[in-house]
Amino acid sequence: MVAVMKEDLSALIEVRHLSKRFGNQVVFEELNLDVYEGEVLGIVGQSGGGKSVLLRCLNGLERVDGGEIRFFGDDVAKMSGRAMRHVEASSGILFQDGALFSALTVLQNIQVPMREHISLPNNIMDELAYLKLSLVGLPANAAHKYPSELSGGMRKRAGLARALALDPKILFLDEPTAGLDPIGASEFDKLIGDLQATLGLTVFMVTHDLDSIFAICDRVAVLADRHIVRTGSPFEMARDPQHPWIKAYFCGARARAVLHGDGTTIEDDAEIRPQHPI
Amino acid sequence: MAIVGENSDGHSQQRRRRRADKRGGIAAASNRPDLEWSRDGESIALRVFGDWQVRDVRRLAVTIRKLKFANRAGNGKSVFVDMAGLTALDTAGAMLLLDMKDHLSAQGYVVSLHKVREADEILFQLISRHPREKSEIVQKRSMVLSLIRDVGAVVVSLWRDVIEMTAMVGQVTVALLMLCIKPWRIRYTSLIHHLEHAGLKAVLIISLICFLIGAVIMQQSVEQLRAYSAEHFSIDMLGILALREVGVLLTSIMIAGRSGAAFTAEIGSMKMREEVDAMRALGIDPVETLIVPRVLAMLIALPLLTFIGDIMCLAGGAMIASQMLEIDLQSFMQRLNDGVEIRHFYVGLIKTPFVAVIIGIVGTLEGMRVRGSAESLGTHVRASVVKSIFLVIVLDAMFAIALTAIGI
Repeated sequence: MVAVMKEDLSALIEVRHLSKRFGNQVVFEELNLDVYEGEVLGIVGQSGGGKSVLLRCLNGLERVDGGEIRFFGDDVAKMSGRAMRHVEASSGILFQDGALFSALTVLQNIQVPMREHISLPNNIMDELAYLKLSLVGLPANAAHKYPSELSGGMRKRAGLARALALDPKILFLDEPTAGLDPIGASEFDKLIGDLQATLGLTVFMVTHDLDSIFAICDRVAVLADRHIVRTGSPFEMARDPQHPWIKAYFCGARARAVLHGDGTTIEDDAEIRPQHPI
Repeated sequence: MAIVGENSDGHSQQRRRRRADKRGGIAAASNRPDLEWSRDGESIALRVFGDWQVRDVRRLAVTIRKLKFANRAGNGKSVFVDMAGLTALDTAGAMLLLDMKDHLSAQGYVVSLHKVREADEILFQLISRHPREKSEIVQKRSMVLSLIRDVGAVVVSLWRDVIEMTAMVGQVTVALLMLCIKPWRIRYTSLIHHLEHAGLKAVLIISLICFLIGAVIMQQSVEQLRAYSAEHFSIDMLGILALREVGVLLTSIMIAGRSGAAFTAEIGSMKMREEVDAMRALGIDPVETLIVPRVLAMLIALPLLTFIGDIMCLAGGAMIASQMLEIDLQSFMQRLNDGVEIRHFYVGLIKTPFVAVIIGIVGTLEGMRVRGSAESLGTHVRASVVKSIFLVIVLDAMFAIALTAIGI
């Protein structure tokens, strides 16, 4: 199935032979990964295994020690400043706690990328910001609040609105459901799924939340032993783990609870396709 | 959707394909978006083409505003919007098109969209479901009212400072008295730690600034008094000034900036992480464990540091004196002994416990006031330094007036 995708879908991001070290500690070695257009890719792996470091490397927030990262076919390391700005404007990131600028209101936060990358008339910028606010499910009266006045879930939504400000092609999410209660987490999963489907986003999601993996991920890449050991749909992983860590993760008690909450057995899954919430 | 059915990974492929045609690679040449209109009998044909995306929104907004017919009443005329030439659309572009449609409808035109691609239709529907106007009106206060309000807020916060500081002084006094009865409850480890950080480690910087200021005072007074051939009196002057005021003031201001800020930051970050609440929950008194050792360390360290500051001030003066007045250390000391009474030294030293309490209380109190966020920590560290330096100087002025009035 993966082979089929490679033939008829272009990879937005290609990572080849990536290596990264912190001092003597090797984080990645020979890491290869493709992110295809229009998919929701979940990155799973041990905590401290470098999932967030990978996300930071892809966004140029960490220097890599070897290998190359190609965005839209061009090597990031050899890009001109102008092309780099284009890449920046066409990718949005949601950090773990939203990373909203604390001195700005929610509305101003959403407008930061608009002011930075393009010039827009104020009335259109306001209209667009209110639209994004509504798209992520925040009430209009949240617009003039400061991040410290919002709850954790609302901060994440506001962070998502900021990430979506310029209609990015690709959206990076760092542990989007961490710290949310189960109801908030599943609402957030649904929000990401809905936005992904309607806006045609490509989503790169670092997570360890099994519920979100089965709810919205088309494909999962497993980061273990310093490289991507396997990619495939979460259901394939659960059926045929192949790797001890994947087995522990996708066939553990929690995964079984997510998969078989309705009393089905693992054999039944062969027939069940991932059901998207919408 | 037919293309999807045969695929084993159905729904995700479908989503991938849905808008694949709109999102060419980033390097792909973009099509310049534009808008054309022509009159077609009684109706108007409007053709939309190119990439309607956020980076061109400013120009497109101007283009839309310049549509001549759009500003005239429509009187039921039809407008056919032909979307066949649209090559890409994002939320900003879709929003602009919907705004245009709404505006035309409001003018009395009958607007219909034609040849809308399926993916764009989804986007239009998504956007028309969401409000994009400010639903609330932000209140604006008049200048005068907000000035009055700000002044009021400052007065209230000053009053609260006075009350809280008084309460804190009371709490610390009670805790100190308790510790006099039960001296084994003093947190010696903590006390020694703060003595080292607030006292010992400040010796070098205090010595250096006091030495330099002493030298500067000496140099300037010799320079000025030489005109009256009274340059030897500059030693008396330096002695009185250094011992009464300069030594203690420089030391206190330095310590207020250095240790006061550190106290606020330490306690504030504990407060942020709910450590102080955890202590209370475990039955540990934060006043006894956090505040008393710091105030006690100040009470011990500040007089000692002031003494060092006094000596270094005089040493700086002596160095300049040996150069400018050409007298040796022996005669400098003799002159100092004759001209400066010991009471000046006591006057300087008597202020130090009061200053120590101010720095300790203000620093720790501001730390205890820190709430959740990191900005709050920054605000309180700044407030701590400003308030303690201000109060130290006020206290010094009050002492100067009072002690001079009773002739000491």
